[in-house]
Amino acid sequence: MRMNTLSSRSQISAIPALLLALLVLMLPGVVVAGSSEGEANQWLERLVPALNMTSYQGVFVYARGDQVSSMQIAHRYRDGVVEERLVMQDGGSGEIVRRGVNVVCVLPDRGRIRLDQVIPSGPFAEAFTRQLMPISRWYSAEMVGEDRVAGYEAVEIALKARDEYRYSHRLWLERTTALLVKSHVRASSGDVMEQFQFTSLEITDNIPDEKFEIRAGGREISRSLAADDLAADERAAETSPVARMNGWELGWRPDGFAPAAAPRTGRGQVVAFSDGLAAFSVFVEPAGRLNMPKGASRIGATTIYMHALESGGREFLVTVVGEVPPETARKVAESVRVQDALALEGSDS
Amino acid sequence: MDDRLRETLSAMMDDEADELSVRRLLSHHDQARVRAQWQRWQQVRDLMHSGHTPAEGVDVSTHVRAALDGRSGSARQRTSAKGISPAARWRWPAVAMVAVALVVGFGAGAGWDSREDSAATGAPEMAAQSFPDKDAAAAPVREVALQGLDKEQWEQMSQYLLEHAQHNSVGAGRGAVGYARVVSAGNGY
Repeated sequence: MRMNTLSSRSQISAIPALLLALLVLMLPGVVVAGSSEGEANQWLERLVPALNMTSYQGVFVYARGDQVSSMQIAHRYRDGVVEERLVMQDGGSGEIVRRGVNVVCVLPDRGRIRLDQVIPSGPFAEAFTRQLMPISRWYSAEMVGEDRVAGYEAVEIALKARDEYRYSHRLWLERTTALLVKSHVRASSGDVMEQFQFTSLEITDNIPDEKFEIRAGGREISRSLAADDLAADERAAETSPVARMNGWELGWRPDGFAPAAAPRTGRGQVVAFSDGLAAFSVFVEPAGRLNMPKGASRIGATTIYMHALESGGREFLVTVVGEVPPETARKVAESVRVQDALALEGSDS
Repeated sequence: MDDRLRETLSAMMDDEADELSVRRLLSHHDQARVRAQWQRWQQVRDLMHSGHTPAEGVDVSTHVRAALDGRSGSARQRTSAKGISPAARWRWPAVAMVAVALVVGFGAGAGWDSREDSAATGAPEMAAQSFPDKDAAAAPVREVALQGLDKEQWEQMSQYLLEHAQHNSVGAGRGAVGYARVVSAGNGY
């Protein structure tokens, strides 16, 4: 008996001591975690400006699914103007050259896909980089550590999705410029589904003009991103985010995915949504003569979900494409409701 | 130790020693040496068969002697059975140790546990696999294999990929990653 009370008393006094010890042990952890998130967010704020305003050249590889491609890039920021030249390193010899709002694309003759569709025919990066999303609401940022990518010291940041509707990301930013030098899109299991990485890189303001000249021979297509269109698009995106959803509406989308000012593609019924890191596009169009399979296909982190919809006796095809899990794509696709079938039919022609 | 004794030892290892030879071996004056030789060979054999090294100091002689003395049937068989027993005995603890290590590893590796959990609730990773049903009520996401598409269907699919990549290249402010997606979609799959 006596022994029991004694031991229980010592237990009682031991509990606060234990708690205190635990607290003491955990406190630095909490502080570290807090500062890690703060530090990670500071880096992320630098990410987008760095993408445009850093001058660099190099080669990067991009892999998704079982497909790997590499591109040579030269990017210069001078007098407020972005100049860029991308040269495909595998397959056909394609080139994309951009100077400010002028984009020139040199197309490979071969290939099943005509690359003129690649040309962004709407506002380029500027319109987007201005609307920075508070990604920390949808992803928890954490400093992972330091690494070396393409010869440069880099910080590694983990962006863990806060819900199951999006994938997690890993970003590697070069230490001095915050340039994105490597990135992963990861499933919740940790498996890497898409990766991008510079294999050679030189960050320098000293890139000669000829690096930005088109050299590949081939069909040239140039487009100017007229300022008027740009402003109009931006206005449309700001005042009425659903302005382009002509005749249909989205019943559900994951929190944080806002309509983005997508380039006008001429196909009409497409709206892009972004949470600041991931994006998906929703296409709604009358079902054509081509019978597309319904369901989800995946290439790396990219899901294509096709869904058949009937409204007013007419068939529609809803397609959701994006770097989101198949379940998310499906939920989005199935939530589409056609309100005005005629408006949709009309816009398609 | 003479060559004949060595030969007997060697035969014992291969379960081929006859009773007389084994008795002679056991009556050898320097039992320590015989034991040492046995153990060395046993070690070599275990190494060659990538088995587990038996610990030092296992004395099989008593078991062998007992087997010879208390034999009722074929002495040779009994001897050989006892002959391999040390190795067998030492394999078991090794297996147990590996098992313990695995258990400890799984227990300590909290990351593995969480990974299992998240794999169960999270998105599937492989395109070729069917998507697990996250919502018990909802039907699993139907999978469409890209390989099964005809040319026209694939072109349509690529068209969607391209247009999305265009949005993505500018929409998410990812710079080169966006371009990469565009080119990747344009290259065909």
